[in-house]
Amino acid sequence: MDTIAESVRLLFGGDRELWGIIFISLNVALLGLVLATPPGIALGYVLAMRRFRGRRTLVVVMQSLLSFPTVVVGLVLYLLLSRQGPFGSLELLFTQEAMVIGQAILVFPIIVAHTVSAVQGADARAHETAVSLGASPLRAAVTLLNETRFALMTGVVNGFGRAISEVGCALMIGGNIAGVTRNITTAIALETSKGEFAQGIALGVVLVVLALGINLIMAVMQGEGGMK
Amino acid sequence: MSVLLALARLRKSFGDRMLLDLGELVIEAGQAYVITGDNGAGKTTLLRILAGLEPADIEGLRIEGVAHNGAQVSRQIVYVHQHPYLFQSSVARNIAYGLRARGIDGVKRERLVEEAIAWAGVGHLRNVPPSKLSGGEKQRVAMARAKVLGPRLFLLDEPTANLDGEARAQTIALIRQLVQDKNSLLIACHDRELIELPGTRRFHLENGKLTEV
Repeated sequence: MDTIAESVRLLFGGDRELWGIIFISLNVALLGLVLATPPGIALGYVLAMRRFRGRRTLVVVMQSLLSFPTVVVGLVLYLLLSRQGPFGSLELLFTQEAMVIGQAILVFPIIVAHTVSAVQGADARAHETAVSLGASPLRAAVTLLNETRFALMTGVVNGFGRAISEVGCALMIGGNIAGVTRNITTAIALETSKGEFAQGIALGVVLVVLALGINLIMAVMQGEGGMK
Repeated sequence: MSVLLALARLRKSFGDRMLLDLGELVIEAGQAYVITGDNGAGKTTLLRILAGLEPADIEGLRIEGVAHNGAQVSRQIVYVHQHPYLFQSSVARNIAYGLRARGIDGVKRERLVEEAIAWAGVGHLRNVPPSKLSGGEKQRVAMARAKVLGPRLFLLDEPTANLDGEARAQTIALIRQLVQDKNSLLIACHDRELIELPGTRRFHLENGKLTEV
């Protein structure tokens, strides 16, 4: 009971360390999402609409990345960003920037897969109508993506879900440095390993509330979309 | 009348099956044509090819005397689908879509949209979500969306299919108006009233060949 009471106090007592961790998590996850979403949607659209050499390979790579263990992404990035690695001179290892890159890589295939699915599932007349009315290929693409916006939003929300909840990549390339790269998941892992459950529970509650809130927003938006 | 569209030859096959094998086809400017033919004869495919939506083996396509390939025609020819697709916005924005694509500015665009809305009699539907419209209302909005662009050629694919009563009559009235205003139209249809519309000429499509009757 004491642990629960302490976690409630941390959450609602304005604990600076706890809210700092939450801010880092949101900041890194959202920036990763912003970085991955435009190219993810663009690649997904091309994969859905065009037939070209290597398309099948790209689809297989994207599908494989969907289920890639986050620690493996972290390991690869670690090797690339460490001092001896090809990008070591950038000195990104154990920074939020490295975590953003890692989360963007994790989110990217999710955005691609949802976009492929949304565009392939769209009414074929939507794109044809745009073209017949004189839209350029770019305008027709934007129109079709706009027509599938609710399906695309689901991809973005799923991407955010993966970014905010993954621990392996953030731990390996962030280093779990207090006040710098310690986010919700790495903090929970650390506190639990020390036997300090209060902060872990408080942060776990935040994660669950975030997940529920985002899905609630999605449900409302999809409801509005369905009424159109 | 001057020649709007002329093509020397058009062939389209699906696998081993030759669906269309047309010799010379000439569409005169300001003339309306109906295309009749059995289901599966290739009427829709022909319209889609002319709209640049379907690839085909085309020789010698000229529009107003200028040589084109099949993919370059979308700003001069507008295809209206049998079951028109309306974008998930308002009726007014649907009608404005092609004007935006052409970079026509706000004031002029609004005036043209208002004229098209009035022409099609869909003013009361201006802000209604397209999913709330009936089949006849969608068809009239799609006709307005095409007319507002002032295309060289309208391609209407079975415009009265699945419509009956007043919706069908309203759609036919709009097409009659387009014919009377000397627009160029190519209409694929089975509808007896459209086939016998005054001022139209008739092609019949059978076994891949198009003949004027």
